[in-house]
Amino acid sequence: MKNKITTVIMFIITICMLNVSVYASADFDKAMKKAKKNLTTAMYKYDASLLMKSRGEFERILQLKEKTWLVNYYIALADYNLATTSMLSENKSDLQKYTESGIAVINKSIDEYPEFADAYVLLEALNFNRWQFEQEKMQEILAATSSADESASKLDKNNPRLLMLNGMASFYTPEAFGGGIDKAMPKFQSSIDAFKTRKEIDELYPEWGNDLAVGYMIMCLVQRNDDGDMDKAKTLMDEALVAYPDSGFISGYVMKEYKKESDSK
Amino acid sequence: MQKLYTQLIFKLLLSVIFIHTSNLDLSAQDSTEAVTEDETVYTTISGFVTGEKDIVLRGANLVIAGTIDGATTDEKGYYEFETDKTGPQLMLVTFLDYAKKSVQLDIVAGNKMTVDVQMRKEEVRTEEILVTASSFTSGNNAAVTLTPLEIVRIPGADADIYRAITTFPGSNQVNEGSRITVRGGNPDEVLTILDLASLYHPFLFDETFNVSSYSTINPWGLRGINFTSGGFSAKYGNVLSAVLDLKSYDMPQGTGMFAWLGLANASLDGVYVSKKKDFGATFSLGKLFLQPYFAVNGEHSDYSPIPESNQFGGTLAYKLGSTGNIKFIANYSDDKVGIFNASPSYAGFYNGSSKSAFSNLKVMVAPTSTTLLNAGASFSYYEKYDNFGVLNTTSKSYYSKGRADYTIQVSSKVDINTGAEYEYDGYDINGIVPVYQYNLKPGAQSYNLDQYYSTGRIGAYAETQLRLSKRFFVIPGFRFDNHTLSKETSFDPRFSFGYQVAKYSSVRGALGVYHQYPDMQNYFNTANNDLLPEQAIHYILGYEFNKDGNYIARIEGYYKDYSDLVLINRDAIYYRSEGEGFAKGVDVFLKAKIANKFTGWISYAYSNSKRKQYSATSLVPSNYDITNNLSVVGSYNLTDFLVFGATYKISTGKPYTPVIGADYVKWQEVYQPIYGETNSARFPTYDRLDMNLQYIFALFGKFAVAVASVNNILNQKNAYTYTYNTDYTQQSPVISNNQRSLYLGLGLQF
Repeated sequence: MKNKITTVIMFIITICMLNVSVYASADFDKAMKKAKKNLTTAMYKYDASLLMKSRGEFERILQLKEKTWLVNYYIALADYNLATTSMLSENKSDLQKYTESGIAVINKSIDEYPEFADAYVLLEALNFNRWQFEQEKMQEILAATSSADESASKLDKNNPRLLMLNGMASFYTPEAFGGGIDKAMPKFQSSIDAFKTRKEIDELYPEWGNDLAVGYMIMCLVQRNDDGDMDKAKTLMDEALVAYPDSGFISGYVMKEYKKESDSK
Repeated sequence: MQKLYTQLIFKLLLSVIFIHTSNLDLSAQDSTEAVTEDETVYTTISGFVTGEKDIVLRGANLVIAGTIDGATTDEKGYYEFETDKTGPQLMLVTFLDYAKKSVQLDIVAGNKMTVDVQMRKEEVRTEEILVTASSFTSGNNAAVTLTPLEIVRIPGADADIYRAITTFPGSNQVNEGSRITVRGGNPDEVLTILDLASLYHPFLFDETFNVSSYSTINPWGLRGINFTSGGFSAKYGNVLSAVLDLKSYDMPQGTGMFAWLGLANASLDGVYVSKKKDFGATFSLGKLFLQPYFAVNGEHSDYSPIPESNQFGGTLAYKLGSTGNIKFIANYSDDKVGIFNASPSYAGFYNGSSKSAFSNLKVMVAPTSTTLLNAGASFSYYEKYDNFGVLNTTSKSYYSKGRADYTIQVSSKVDINTGAEYEYDGYDINGIVPVYQYNLKPGAQSYNLDQYYSTGRIGAYAETQLRLSKRFFVIPGFRFDNHTLSKETSFDPRFSFGYQVAKYSSVRGALGVYHQYPDMQNYFNTANNDLLPEQAIHYILGYEFNKDGNYIARIEGYYKDYSDLVLINRDAIYYRSEGEGFAKGVDVFLKAKIANKFTGWISYAYSNSKRKQYSATSLVPSNYDITNNLSVVGSYNLTDFLVFGATYKISTGKPYTPVIGADYVKWQEVYQPIYGETNSARFPTYDRLDMNLQYIFALFGKFAVAVASVNNILNQKNAYTYTYNTDYTQQSPVISNNQRSLYLGLGLQF
C-alpha cells in the first residue's frame, strides 16, 4: 500500500512539473514568435531602432532560460543586421561593435548547442564583416570563415541561408579572386530552390533570407544583362514584390539597381 | 482501510487534473492579448538610461529578472514598460560593452514609477593603460602601435620584424641588417625573448662582412610583440638597453599552406589545427638563392660563393584542459658566403658560414581562475666560421635556459608577477688568430686559439601591478641576478607608472637600475673573471595620445647613466669594469591610420650618447651615437587589392675611429695604423628611400599576393665601413651592398 501511495505522489509531482513546464513553454513560445516576427520586420526595413528593440526582446526572453542557444542565435542575428545596417548609414563605428558582439553571442550559442547549422552560417557571415575593419587579421578571418562554412556544410549542406551566403561571397568577390556573378548565380539559384522545399522542424527556427536570395539573383541578372536577363529579372522582381512586399531590400535596393539598368537602355 | 486509500487517491488525482486544467486555461488566457485588464493591475515603469558623462544610451535593455517584462531604450535613452509584478523586484540593465547593472525596485501595484539609470563602461583590465614607457606593441590589443600586416608592408623592412622596429624612434639598424641598437647602446644590449626563451642569434648572416643580416622570425606566427626601448619590467634580466618580447600563438589559427617564391628566396609554410582545436602543428621551410636577384640587380661585390642559406623548423602544440597549453618549437638555419674585401694588409675573400639551432618547450597552466603559471626550457646552439687571410676561427655558443613565471591576480586592482630563471652560457672558440690585428696576410704571425668559457646565471624577480585608480597604475619591482663565472650578484629595483590624463592621453614614466654581464669574450682578458655587471640607470618620462591605435602622438625624454662598463686598462693589460657614460635624448612618434586606406608614421629621435668604454680614454661618442634620426613610413591602399608603400630614412652618420697615420713595420712588411681618438669621426649622413607595391589576387582560385619592391630607389651610396691603402695614406669607403635593387615575389595560400 505504501508503494502505491508513493507512486501516486510521484505521479502528482510529475503532473505538477509538467504543468509548470507547459505554462513556461507557452510563455516562451509566444514571446519567441512575437520577437521573431518583429525581428523579421526590422530586418526587412533595415531600421536600426527596430533592430535594437527586437534585440532587446530576445535579451529579455533569455530570462525564461529556455533554449537559450536559440535565443542567443537571434540576438546575434540582430547584431549582424545592426552591423550591416550601420554600413549603410554614416555612422560606421557600429559595424565593429555589433560584429564583435554578434560573434561573442553566436559562439555562446554554438558552445551550448553545436549541432545547429544556422549558427555556423551566421558565424561565417559575421566574420565576413571583419574584412571591413581588421584586414590585418586576414589569416585569422580566412580560417574562421572556412571553419564555420565547413561546420555548417557538414550539418546541413542544403541550408538555403548557407547557399545564399556562398552566393553572396562569390557575388562580392571579383572574378580575379575566383568570384563573380557567373559563379554566384548557381548558388543563389540553389538557395532559392532550397527555400522552396525547406520546412523547418521547429517554427521557432530561422526562416529569413529568401528575399535576399531572390534579390541577389535579380542583381546578378541585371549586372550580367545578357539577352533575356532583364526580362527574367523583371519576372523575378514582380514575383518578389508580391511574395515579399515588406522587404526593403527588394523594393528599395534591388529595385533601384534594376531601374538604373533598365532606364539606361 | 484499503477502500479509503483508494478514494483518497482518486480525490487527489481529480484535484490535480482539475488544477492542471485550470492552469492550462489560465496560461491560455495569460498568453493572449485579451488578458482581462480589470483583473490584472499593471505598473508602468519608465525612465532614462545614460552612460558616462550623461550620454544617451540608445538600445539599452531593461528587464525584470525572471520575466520578460521590460523594454529597450529609444534614441533619447527613454524606456517605458508595464509589469504585473509587485513587491521587491530586480531590474537588470544591459548595454553592449557597459557593465551589467541591477536595480532593486519595490513595485506597488498600479503606481507609476520613474527609474533613471546611469551605467558605466565595463571596467576592462585594459592592457593599454598598463603599457609602460618606451613600449611599442603589436597584437590584438586595441592600443597596438604596429600590426603584423603593417610589419610585412613596411617598404624596406623586407617583412623583417627588426627592420620594422627601426622605423620607431630610438632604434637603429646595424649595417642595414636586422641587428638593432637602441638609444646609442651596443647591439648586444638588446635582448630578444620568444615564449620565455632568450634568442641570441635569430639572424642569418649575423656579423658577416658587408652582408646584411636577416631575421629568422616569422611575424605572422606572433600573437603579440612588445618592444621596449628602456624602463622595462623587472622580469627582464641581464639586459642593458632594450627588450623585444615576442609571444607566438598558443595554437595555429587555422589549417593551410602558404608558398612563397621570390627573386631571391622561396619558402613553404604549413599550419594545422585539429577539429577540436586541441592539437596544432606548423612547419616552415626556407631557402635563399641570389642568382636571379643578382641577374636583375647586378653584383656590387665579388662573391665566392654567393650568399646562400637554408632554414627549417616547426611547432607542436597541445591544449591542456580548458586553459592550459604545451608548445614545442624547433628551428634550424645555416648560411654561407664568400665576399671580396681589400684590407690594407690583405686583399682576398672573406669566407663565413654559420649554423644555428633553437628549441623551446613551454607550458602554460592556470591552476586557478586568478593564477597563471608559465614555464619553459630552451636550448640553442650557434656555430660560426670566419676566414680572412690568416684569420681562421670557429666559435660555438651554447645557451640553455629554464624559466618559470607565476602571476597571481590578488584583486581586480592588484596583480603580482614573480618568477625565476637559470641560464647556462658556454662559449668555445678555436682556430688561428693574427697576433697583430693590422696584419692579416696569410702566413702573418699568428697563434692557435682554443678557449672555452662557461657561466651560469640565476635570476629571480617580483613585481606588482597596482591599479591605484581607473586611471593610474604603478609597477614597483625588483630582481636579483647571480653570475657564476664572476661570482657577482646584482640587485635591480625598478619602478614604472602610467596615468591616464584623458580618454586617449596618458603620461608614463619609469626609473630603474639595469645590469648586464659583459659578453663572454671579455672574460678572456681578465685576471680572475672579475668583471662587474655593466650598469645603467634609466630615467624616462613621456606623454602619449593614442586613439585606438589609429592616431598616436608620443613624445618621450630619457636619460641613462652608465657605470662599470668594460674598459681596457692599458697599464694592466686586463679589462676592468671602470668605464662610464650616459645617453640622453628625445623620441617623437606620430602615427595615423585612416580607415583601411592609409597608414603612416613619422619617427624622430634626438640622441646624445657618450661612453668611456673599451679603448676610449675619455667620454667619447658611443659606437652608435646617431644624433638625429628621422623615419617616414606610409602605406596607401590604391584599391582594395593594391597597396603602395614608401619609407624614407635619414640619419646622422655613425661615429668611427679614423686612422691618422701609420708606421712601417719592417719585419712584417706591413704598415701599422695609428688611430685617432676613439669615434672622433663620423660617416656621412645616411639616407635611403624604399618603395613597394602589393597586389592581392586569385591564382588557381586561391588567395595570392604579389610584391614588387625597390629598395634604395635613389641609389644612395651609403658607407658600410672605411678601408685604406697599404700605407694608410688614402681612405676610401666600402659602399654598402644595399644599393638600388628590385625584388619581386609571389605568395599563394592554399
